[in-house]
Amino acid sequence: MQNTVKNPRKASNFLHWFDFTDADLGTFAFIMNRIAGIGLVVYLFLHLIVLSQLAQGASAYNSFIALAHSPLFVAGEFVVVAGVLLHGLNGLRIALTSLGIGVPIQKGLFLGLMAIAVVGIIIFAIKMFGGA
Amino acid sequence: MVSVGPKPHENTWLWLLKLVTGVLVFTLILIHIVVNHLVAVSGLLTYAGVVAYLSQPGIALLESTFLIIVVVHALLGTRSIVLDLNPSSAVVRGLDWVFGIIGAAAIVYGLWLIQVIIHSNVTG
Repeated sequence: MQNTVKNPRKASNFLHWFDFTDADLGTFAFIMNRIAGIGLVVYLFLHLIVLSQLAQGASAYNSFIALAHSPLFVAGEFVVVAGVLLHGLNGLRIALTSLGIGVPIQKGLFLGLMAIAVVGIIIFAIKMFGGA
Repeated sequence: MVSVGPKPHENTWLWLLKLVTGVLVFTLILIHIVVNHLVAVSGLLTYAGVVAYLSQPGIALLESTFLIIVVVHALLGTRSIVLDLNPSSAVVRGLDWVFGIIGAAAIVYGLWLIQVIIHSNVTG
């Protein structure tokens, strides 16, 4: 490993997130965590705004729910669920290693957690798209 | 990979809060998603279903806790990303006000919404 590897956390420019010249698993995990995190923040606020329909009463909310059953909404929700699993499980690795737990095995930890994420994503895909 | 600690401008307590809220968010969001997608028969709760769900003992407290924790984590995470762009201290101070106001508004609004739903007189 060369010593020229940049620490992406010290990047002065967000474009460095996408600099794969020194790419390794940690860089990939870092970029994935950022992209999923930003997406989830956007979703969180859209979700809170949309739920204001609940204050408008049953007919407003139920007609919104009908719209939310459209394929575009379901696909969007699936992306959110996938983002939650990827960001959340990778986040558990970050929490553990930040506390000094599992640092020597963190690549394996990352790959294992991502395998769990993939299984979870497949289960939700079947649930959300596979049903009659 | 390197382990991650607080970064410049990131107070150790805020960093720890991000870590702790992150773990809590993950736990609570799994409950939240499972209830909304795997338990609810229609895949999404109906209005009456939302009222019934939130009216159960402990559920409003659970969802209120989730609301507060997830908003705090989302804003601390966004702040971390902004810090990666090496902003000046003045910019960080200004953004901290913006994040604080957005967070407080989102939490107050969410708690208000939960109260409105619980006190809805719609049944069944």
